[in-house]
Amino acid sequence: MTSNIRFGRAGAHGVMIGLSLLAIFPVYWMVQTSFRPENEMFSTGLWPAAPTLDNYRAVVTAMPIFAIIWNTVLMAGATTLAQVATGLLAAWALVRWRFPGGRLAHSLIALSWLVPFQVVMIPNYVLATKLGLLDSITGLVVPNAAAAIAVLVLYNAMRGFPREVIEAARMDGASGFRTLMEIVVPNLRAPIASISILCFISAWNDYFWPLLLIRRIENSVVQIGLQFFMTQEGNDWGLLMAAATLASLPIFLIYLALQRQVVQSFMKSGIR
Amino acid sequence: MTDATVSASSSATSIMPRLRLRAAEPWLYLAPAMAVVLIWTYVPLLQAFELSFYEWNMLPRSQPRFVGLENYANLLTLPDMRQAVINTILYTAGLLPLSVGVPLAVALLTARLGGPLRNFYRALIFVPMIVAPVVAAIIWRWLLNEDHGLVNAWLRGFGFDTVGFLRDPDVALWTLVWITGWKLVGFSTLLFAAADSAISPSYIEAARMDGATPWQIVRDIRLPLLSPTILLLTMMTILFGAQWSFVYINALTGGGPLRSTTNVYFLMWEYGFKTMAAGWSTAAGVLVFAVFGLIALLCLALMKRFAVYDE
Repeated sequence: MTSNIRFGRAGAHGVMIGLSLLAIFPVYWMVQTSFRPENEMFSTGLWPAAPTLDNYRAVVTAMPIFAIIWNTVLMAGATTLAQVATGLLAAWALVRWRFPGGRLAHSLIALSWLVPFQVVMIPNYVLATKLGLLDSITGLVVPNAAAAIAVLVLYNAMRGFPREVIEAARMDGASGFRTLMEIVVPNLRAPIASISILCFISAWNDYFWPLLLIRRIENSVVQIGLQFFMTQEGNDWGLLMAAATLASLPIFLIYLALQRQVVQSFMKSGIR
Repeated sequence: MTDATVSASSSATSIMPRLRLRAAEPWLYLAPAMAVVLIWTYVPLLQAFELSFYEWNMLPRSQPRFVGLENYANLLTLPDMRQAVINTILYTAGLLPLSVGVPLAVALLTARLGGPLRNFYRALIFVPMIVAPVVAAIIWRWLLNEDHGLVNAWLRGFGFDTVGFLRDPDVALWTLVWITGWKLVGFSTLLFAAADSAISPSYIEAARMDGATPWQIVRDIRLPLLSPTILLLTMMTILFGAQWSFVYINALTGGGPLRSTTNVYFLMWEYGFKTMAAGWSTAAGVLVFAVFGLIALLCLALMKRFAVYDE
């Protein structure tokens, strides 16, 4: 029995090491390729013999990568703020009051994530064109200013908030908005931070809507900038890997700093 | 404007509007989220339904022409659509082992692993989840490149023939399935591990005292208690798997070679923004939404019926 357990433990380590390598090696390969000089591009060594920053220099001149990253920071930041704000307000309405239509509103918001974007893309595109939102960061943010997942997560968090405290605030004559901002929000820092992380990373990695909306590379976000670059530079692998590494850097830094919180926020809020 | 001051100061005449304002108050808070959801999801859904009965090339000056059910009739007889439906099923079926099967097995096998290394593994296997889809596409395009990619270099090294991972019509779809699954497998494992560690150890201890073998414990205790997570991940894969693959189709194969990687979502995209046939695209969208909506309802019913909860 004991030998069985010991073998099981070694086997478990083996399985986890295998899965970890599978997860991390492709990312590692991207990073190390980005440091390879031209003449070493096709070697299968694990690290370039003469690492160089040439690919990065080339990327900076070949595409406006920093402008693109800045666009993405703006887009993801604004989207996150909007989603958390609309989520807080909507969740508060659903928790604080019981009112006719409340359940319907709740279901409509909750079910909106079941509608595939490809089904509504043409009407959305037509509307965005009419509103003059094409090729702009605003256009990327506006349709995503509310997210079902943000409303649902904040709703659950608020429902766990002690009812008596909310009632007491009402007795003391605090308005609904003041109760939300001064009593509920400060006590929900953890779930708000968690959903913010999820919203930011999802917005950063969003692909389909920018694909429809963005026309010029200087207005693009990283996903579309990389796609342009991939079509343009085809098989210049060093260049592509350097661009991809730069584009991933902000998210990787967030992950390095907040690893536990990032994993938690994804696990609490599901896959999408 | 607080309840207390209002009740003291309000006169009989102002009670009615006051009541109306109170009834409106929750809607003020709901308004921003509801507006976004209605304007960008539900109204477009109805518009898509309407458009599916028209022929329209999406040019601003052209008028949509009513064609009744023609778009649907065309779609249902088109070989394109049949191929896309088959491929959608293949994507979903191919993803299930990566999003449910392997993670479940790994979580069960490694459940007793503790210590600092466990957290290290977890931090690593989560990474693909936060890699942007386009970055994942670029990475795998390089690793699987036919002439110079590392995987084919290894294959050559072991004496195998090289594989055209993205160029061979028999292989390309599975390559895209693999990339989609690569992003999910670690995350699913973490979900299963979390659900598994929430199982009360006293059940397992009691079963062991009764002489249950490890396999019996897995079959009769752990799997049933993991069933909510299994069903949830299965449902998510069925509902969204084909959508998750979209990025890789568009970035890596463009639906080819020989349309072998086109699924229904990519078909809609092609009809809509490549051939500019809004009617066909929305008709396909309505069909897809109807089918997946039914599947979603079915899944929810199944989850209610079969999931075992520890109460």
